[in-house]
Amino acid sequence: MKQNLLTKIICVMFLFLGGLLHSQSVSGTVYDKLGTLPGVNISVKGTSNGAQTSMDGSYTINNLANNDVIVFSYIGFKTQEVIYTGQKEIDVTLAEDAALLDQIVVIGYGTTTVKDATGAVTTVAAKDFNGGVIASPEQLIQGKAAGVQISQASGEPGSGIAIRIRGTSSVRSNNNPLFVVDGIPLSDGGTAGAADLGGGGGSARNPLSFLNPNDIESMTVLKDASATAIYGSRGANGVVIITTKSGIRGSGGVFQFNSNTSFSTVSKTFDLLNGPEFLSAISQFGGNASELDFGANTNWQDVVFRDVISKDNSFAYSNNYGDGYVRASLGLVDQQGVVENSSQAKFTGRINASHRFFEDKLKVDVNATYSRIDDEAPFITNSSGSQGDLLGATYFANPTWPNDLNFTSGDGKLNPRQLLDYYEDLNETGRVLVNAGAEYSILSNLKAKVNLGYDQSKATRTQVLSPDADGFNNGVPGNGRAALQDVNVENELLDITLNYTKDFGNSNLEVLAGYSFQSFRNYGRTIQGFGLNTSNLAEMANNLENAADLIQGSIGDTPYQQYGFSSNGLFINQILPIINSDVSLTSPSGIPVNSVTGNFFDNTDELQSFFGRVNYKINDKYLFTFTLRADGSTRFGSNNQYGYFPSGAFAWQLHQEDFIPEAFSKLKMRVSYGITGNQDGLGYGNFLPRQRFADPSIGNGGEVNPPGFSLVSFANPDLKWEETAQFGIGFDYGFFNDRLNGSVDIYHKSTTDLLLQQESAQPAVQPFVFSNLDASVINQGVEFMVNYDIIQQDDMNWNFGFNVAYNENEVQDFDGLIQTGEINGNGLTGAFAQLLAEGRPLFSYFLREFAGFDENGISIYPNGDQQQFVDKSALPDITLGINTSFSYRNWDANAFLAGQYGQYIYNNTANAFFTAGIINSGQNVTGNVLTNGESGANAPDVSTRFLEKGDFLRLQNLSVGYSVNLKEESFLNSLRFSLIGQNLFVITPYSGLDPEVDTPSSLNNIPSAGIDYTSFPRATTVTFGLNASF
Amino acid sequence: MKNTIKWLTLSVLVISISCTDLEIEQTDSNFDESLSGEFGGVDPAASLDGLYSDIRSQIETQEGLYALNEVSSDELLVPTRGTDWGDNGVWRNLHDHNWDPLHRDVKNTWNSFNQNVYRATLIIDPRSESTPQQVAEAKFLRGFSTFWIADLYGQAPFRTPDEGPNVNPSVKTRAEAIDFALQDLIEALPDLPSSGPSGSLNRATKAAANHLLAKLYLNKHIYLGTTADPADMTRVVEYVDAIKADGFALASGYFDIFENDVDSETILFTTSEVGPRIWNTLHYKQNSPDNEGGGWNGFTTLSEFYDTFEGDPNINVPESGQEERRGFVPTDGSNLGIGYGFLIGQQYDETGAAMTDRVGNQLDFTRELPGLLGNNEVTGIRLIKYHPENGGFTGHQILFRYADAHLMKAEAILRGGTSSETALGLVNELRAMRNANGNTAPLSALTEQDMLDERGRELYGEFWRRNDLIRFGKFSDAWQYKSNTDVTRVLFPIPATAIISNPNLVQNEGY
Repeated sequence: MKQNLLTKIICVMFLFLGGLLHSQSVSGTVYDKLGTLPGVNISVKGTSNGAQTSMDGSYTINNLANNDVIVFSYIGFKTQEVIYTGQKEIDVTLAEDAALLDQIVVIGYGTTTVKDATGAVTTVAAKDFNGGVIASPEQLIQGKAAGVQISQASGEPGSGIAIRIRGTSSVRSNNNPLFVVDGIPLSDGGTAGAADLGGGGGSARNPLSFLNPNDIESMTVLKDASATAIYGSRGANGVVIITTKSGIRGSGGVFQFNSNTSFSTVSKTFDLLNGPEFLSAISQFGGNASELDFGANTNWQDVVFRDVISKDNSFAYSNNYGDGYVRASLGLVDQQGVVENSSQAKFTGRINASHRFFEDKLKVDVNATYSRIDDEAPFITNSSGSQGDLLGATYFANPTWPNDLNFTSGDGKLNPRQLLDYYEDLNETGRVLVNAGAEYSILSNLKAKVNLGYDQSKATRTQVLSPDADGFNNGVPGNGRAALQDVNVENELLDITLNYTKDFGNSNLEVLAGYSFQSFRNYGRTIQGFGLNTSNLAEMANNLENAADLIQGSIGDTPYQQYGFSSNGLFINQILPIINSDVSLTSPSGIPVNSVTGNFFDNTDELQSFFGRVNYKINDKYLFTFTLRADGSTRFGSNNQYGYFPSGAFAWQLHQEDFIPEAFSKLKMRVSYGITGNQDGLGYGNFLPRQRFADPSIGNGGEVNPPGFSLVSFANPDLKWEETAQFGIGFDYGFFNDRLNGSVDIYHKSTTDLLLQQESAQPAVQPFVFSNLDASVINQGVEFMVNYDIIQQDDMNWNFGFNVAYNENEVQDFDGLIQTGEINGNGLTGAFAQLLAEGRPLFSYFLREFAGFDENGISIYPNGDQQQFVDKSALPDITLGINTSFSYRNWDANAFLAGQYGQYIYNNTANAFFTAGIINSGQNVTGNVLTNGESGANAPDVSTRFLEKGDFLRLQNLSVGYSVNLKEESFLNSLRFSLIGQNLFVITPYSGLDPEVDTPSSLNNIPSAGIDYTSFPRATTVTFGLNASF
Repeated sequence: MKNTIKWLTLSVLVISISCTDLEIEQTDSNFDESLSGEFGGVDPAASLDGLYSDIRSQIETQEGLYALNEVSSDELLVPTRGTDWGDNGVWRNLHDHNWDPLHRDVKNTWNSFNQNVYRATLIIDPRSESTPQQVAEAKFLRGFSTFWIADLYGQAPFRTPDEGPNVNPSVKTRAEAIDFALQDLIEALPDLPSSGPSGSLNRATKAAANHLLAKLYLNKHIYLGTTADPADMTRVVEYVDAIKADGFALASGYFDIFENDVDSETILFTTSEVGPRIWNTLHYKQNSPDNEGGGWNGFTTLSEFYDTFEGDPNINVPESGQEERRGFVPTDGSNLGIGYGFLIGQQYDETGAAMTDRVGNQLDFTRELPGLLGNNEVTGIRLIKYHPENGGFTGHQILFRYADAHLMKAEAILRGGTSSETALGLVNELRAMRNANGNTAPLSALTEQDMLDERGRELYGEFWRRNDLIRFGKFSDAWQYKSNTDVTRVLFPIPATAIISNPNLVQNEGY
């Protein structure tokens, strides 16, 4: 249907082709400093007359009158204007746009220039991206934009990344911004979290890893409501627009080759006791050391951590052939993690093509990318209990145990060696993202654009835990457990926009109107197995998949939600078309697994939107923008199916006013207000009563109990998006011809109608119910950016940039108390560290006040053995980035530091593993435990003892590059070598491995922040890079 | 301009063609008949299975109902052992009666049992078109859940199927809630199947309903704040007699009752795994082949409670003169080396060798503890009824047992009920049955304390101790590691989250 539409539209466009011949004309050639420039836009101001330079940079433009203004414009170059006075030939040399003044800024459904932007928008171009090992695009701009906090949850390759633009505004839902890649708003998800096979569940992968950082031209962060309101119900957390590289710079065909080889090592380890120290500590705490001496002296961190080499190669071809351009690229990344069994192998391929037809009236763009990512993860979980996960087991394993696969302690303690060799977790993700757009100039000032997008991702995660693994108390020994999860995402997009511009002489009007339809389908299955009948890991995975195929094949076309197979036989639970529970079926023979459960999901959400934007500019001095988006979403209740999101902004080029001192080369004031939404936390079908069978599970003896059937959501026709009203004022300033430039912004954001899964008023069908809570989250703050070109000479440049942001967060008008920040570990069941409450920031710590140990080594809690607010939160007050770049002749150097201040970290790792009680139970600890005065019988309850300042300043990136001087006749156009260091040092008072940490520890469906529990250690990486073009 | 108009018309056309009505489809969940939210009935068979399954998991855990009824009593405590079982104080607070409205088990039990009530209500609603037996089973389960809510919290909210999430549920007083439960059970009785001892008693039968009715009438005066009404007590006798008429009777071989077999005592069980009852008390190194992880080294009993059993208090190896129900600690490696009943003193492995704890000291369970805090791995007497020899994770947990009914009948007679039998006779009948080693002498007279002690010896760890202590007026006494004698603790608080979500609830006195 939609494909047909496109062809229809193209057909109709033929009808409007045409043009008139005119007498007066001019021709010429456009150059840049390297040679002729194809594809330059040439227009005559105030008319629909225009042309474009051809392959050799030449052009002809007709129908000219004296005093017409001919405008030459090209992305990345300064626009030039020439007054026509009857010349026969006009040659123009365009200068590269270094001053950023006319830099193109990508905004929603269009572009503008920095000069004309009315919103708080920060663009980071490829040349300013962070270098080195980059798994995911967000890392490219970490620390580059004020008010944009980007943190990687851990050091694992492909781990999730959190982005907070102007604070954390949503209590429950994802606070990540909306990502738009070449006009396609991406949906969340698409990767499976780790299933719990016996040590807690794990996080999902970063869904953005599918983009090759080398393919990205620029990333634009839309921060204020006036900029994001065009994305309506998805704009509240800000928007990040990613533009991929086109072939526009590749005139005549350019090949580019990038190769990086990186060496990584764990940047910090714990100071654990060695064998003899451990035995003497056992005696110190009253144990019988000889009973615990197994004779070896193993450094378990050395066993589990490793030094690795990663490789990243990419190859691209681009060609600008006059009527269009094309770029194709291939990327191959092999990133190894610093923990054994962790890696990410990635293949990406991309083709971007653009071609103009019918005298440039029709422009067709096609962008297509395919990626295949293979992740391998170790047995590291978010919520392991008393036995720990791989890292927990590593930290408290007895160092006198041998590093021996067959060694068993016999008392339920896990052998780290076995966790390495007897566990496998592989995740394969294939993703295709294609978008095709056609833009037709109906009139010179009226353009119509149709954009079609298709995004498909298929991920399969397979985890197996061998029956040979000892010590698990969930039936794993002798049986084994396995899980297979398929997560598929299919999104379709149709955008239609009309763009109208009108020049009134001293004012300009630009109007955008659009329609958008997007559908999001998520479907897949979760298969679990018990008793895999082999201890070969690959065979276990095969057996599970074969068992599932065999069972599903035998069920045939009968629809069902789930099935279960065990020694009691095979059953299915049906929902549609009829509800039918626990239907016994004849099991097919030869199922290679003793117990299997399968559970399926498949749901589709739709979003239909109408939007418009008006930009009005008077005298190039006063700029107005109004936007409105109406979003209809299948996630909202019937009473609120459509949401309306208006915004308005005003900008004033003050430096053009006489009363502003000449010293300002730029001074622009921006004022904006708007309302945006967030529908992310809502999920599918939470506004109507829906029934499903609960998730099946396999008992510790292999039994499968048919799950119960019940309502999973209540009727709530009033359910709607979360709403954020944001007001902001900003100034862009420049001195000395903008050699010193920057911006200052202040903002106030108020998020209301908080989407929360609240405790149901019982009796109710389920403990939680979705509702819009009558409370608000306030974020307010200041952002400041400055850039200074300290030295600007022909062969030497030195630039310094600094950005800092302060944000204040508070929950208001909330009359409940909700616990979050689950604390895990030995004797910490049910423990939590954070409480959501009125008048406090999100993620406020709620802990016992700890005041040392008494003479018996028991904790002293002066305010009682109860938790209370301690006036500290996990949210940083200040985030900053410091950048400096220096170049001298062929050499260049860059340094980039990132910092965060004011946040506190709950060191759950220390709470669970580094206490006297742990050494007193025969497990290893860090050296400080022996001398801190704690008794082995003391209970390390959740308290401020484990709360630490998380301030840090990190040398994120330090790079040195050398560009080789090439001879004219050289085969190569350019050749550059670079050496990049990442995470070379961190200055922090935090005692854990790294202060930039966030182990997901949600409780009551409220996310947590700032909890550090056996987080994957971060690496220090040195990369040697080679870039060549020919 | 003409072209522009054409084009605009076309765009409008395109948009109107592609416009959607934004309705989601039933692909992986079943929508209620009307999207308006009006209740259209649930699938009775699937929903009833679901409700049984919910109750199964509520009973299985060592948290929730089990913790509220047992750890708050003089039968159990969960001492904090260094890093173990601190669990943010939830266990200490339960034992020393210092819980508050934020307590985990107070909250979760409220939510899960009220949820049971609502799910049952949906099945009972005529629009679900349940069969009479399905209605009866749902009423039994609603009666069961309402009974526990009224017993634990002293009030019970109620919501009809047509009341959406914006309606604040009405609240029944304790007396109203008990009447409601009684009515459910009486209405359910005729349509429930009758069954004698069998392997399928994990669903409601007439005997199970009779048992719960006896329990309700026995406790009714406590809920009303009056003295026992002889008419109610006579009803208890009649309901127990009705159970007996179905073929249930006392069975000898005390610990055999807790195997996954048919016996004459089991009236109602769930398929809950018994693992949590076993492993929560055993030491890390005590193990069975189907559980490599070992025990969890948590739950212990008080020496005061242990001393209510006949036998030498300091030793509990075989043939040391204890009564059958106190069990024994094998020294010869039999039964996987793991004892039955009460584990005290040195423990032995499956070869008969003396065991050590995790830091190499003797695994020698002590009678006494230093307190709720500051314990090492070996303090406290352990208690175990379900045995790993019969499977560490067997799905067979007893909810109602005939010995309980038998003792309820005796107690009802003691409290004024009419019967041809005497309370003393009934108690001695049970004692004679448990007289395995010849140490359970018949009682010559029966006081209330004797009655309570007999219930403790017979029914320890079976969910009833708090209920019994309250009925005998002992719940607010001081006992080991519990000094709080606040009488308001006979009721748990309404959870903080519930008070916020429903303004019709009024917090119980004392919280």
